[in-house]
Amino acid sequence: MGWSPFGSSDDSGPRKTSGGAFEKPSRTNRAKCYEARDAFFECLDRNNILDSINSKAGRAATASACGKADQEFEKNCAHSWVEYFKKQRVVNYQKEQTIKKIEAEGGEIIAPQLPLKK
Amino acid sequence: MSSACNCLAGGTKTLRVAPALRVPVQTSAHRAFASSHSPKPATSLRTVARNGTQCASKANSNAARRINGVQEQMRSFSSSTSRQKLKTIEQVRARNKGGPFNVAAALLFLATAGGLYIYFTQEKERMARKRIAEQTKGVGKPKVGGPFELVDHNGHKFTSDDLLGKYTLVYFGFTHCPDICPDELDKMALMYDKVVAQCGDCLVPIMITCDPARDTPAVLKEYLVEFHPRIIGLTGDYEAIKDTCKAYRVYFSTPSHVKPGQDYLVDHSIYFYLMDPEGDFVEAIGRNFTADQAAKVISDHVKDWEGPLKKKDRWAD
Repeated sequence: MGWSPFGSSDDSGPRKTSGGAFEKPSRTNRAKCYEARDAFFECLDRNNILDSINSKAGRAATASACGKADQEFEKNCAHSWVEYFKKQRVVNYQKEQTIKKIEAEGGEIIAPQLPLKK
Repeated sequence: MSSACNCLAGGTKTLRVAPALRVPVQTSAHRAFASSHSPKPATSLRTVARNGTQCASKANSNAARRINGVQEQMRSFSSSTSRQKLKTIEQVRARNKGGPFNVAAALLFLATAGGLYIYFTQEKERMARKRIAEQTKGVGKPKVGGPFELVDHNGHKFTSDDLLGKYTLVYFGFTHCPDICPDELDKMALMYDKVVAQCGDCLVPIMITCDPARDTPAVLKEYLVEFHPRIIGLTGDYEAIKDTCKAYRVYFSTPSHVKPGQDYLVDHSIYFYLMDPEGDFVEAIGRNFTADQAAKVISDHVKDWEGPLKKKDRWAD
């Protein structure tokens, strides 16, 4: 139930379409969504949960430890955004780890450049 | 006579230091000195060494005049040149203790070096920008960008011809974008303000939606005014957007048929495309640029355009 798009029926969050998208993705709506997301991620951090979406175990752990924050998150964000942010959390973590690993091995991270022709 | 000659000798030493220009004068002065003192070279040379420095300046001014006179009276061969040379070197050394360096020369050197450094650095940057602009400028059909016919956020027809005459900053996005597009549009607003502060009304910021099904002109208008009132939002039917994205080499993943109210995200390329007043692609600005850096890149291109290409008439409207 925690991350079902139709989980919240009260009207306190921003108005959404039947599919769970924002009706108006305005700045205030985005700010509320980010706030709810940060609160949810903080809860995940406290409970040492990285992945709250991709694995069954992760979803179960999230539901028991941060169920309320997850509902708030879902209520304040478009459903697609919730999925996006949850997946992004995992990807960002992996990216950080990879960068750390490369740097620990003495490699350099070089930003990609446009190829320059003569 | 002796004292005068000593002075003259001192003058000779002074002259010796001077460059090759004075060599003829110096040679004749030598002869004069050598011939008059040849009987007692040792003592007189010591005197010369003592008096030399005192008389140097006096001799300097008088040397040329006197030499002429002396030269006429005494012209004889001298055998004491070798010893005299030795003395001269010592004196030259003493005088040139500091080498050829002095404060004025040092300042001149530093100023020249600094000037050249600044000039070449700027020239290098300018050439690099020119290379990028020329390299990406299409000969004939542009590689990035091209004609399009869309609808702006007020519902009016908007074509690529409306962009001619000014630089254009094109961004592709969609209003239901979770985090990157809003950040980038905020950056675009900053960039725009900075460029306008520097170059005047030379840039048109444009956002083309990749999600035409949801982003109607009204939605775009409401969305974009929160970022900057000058940003023009463009939308159109799916095919028109698809063609525009293709022209700009933009990847996007919008489904072509969506149900009303459907919730989905659009994956798309996130570059700003800088287009010149002729509608040709200049440079792509990625997320790694800060607003300041991007504004500098754009302003520099705009300045390059005004200068060498002289198309100021295009800026009239």
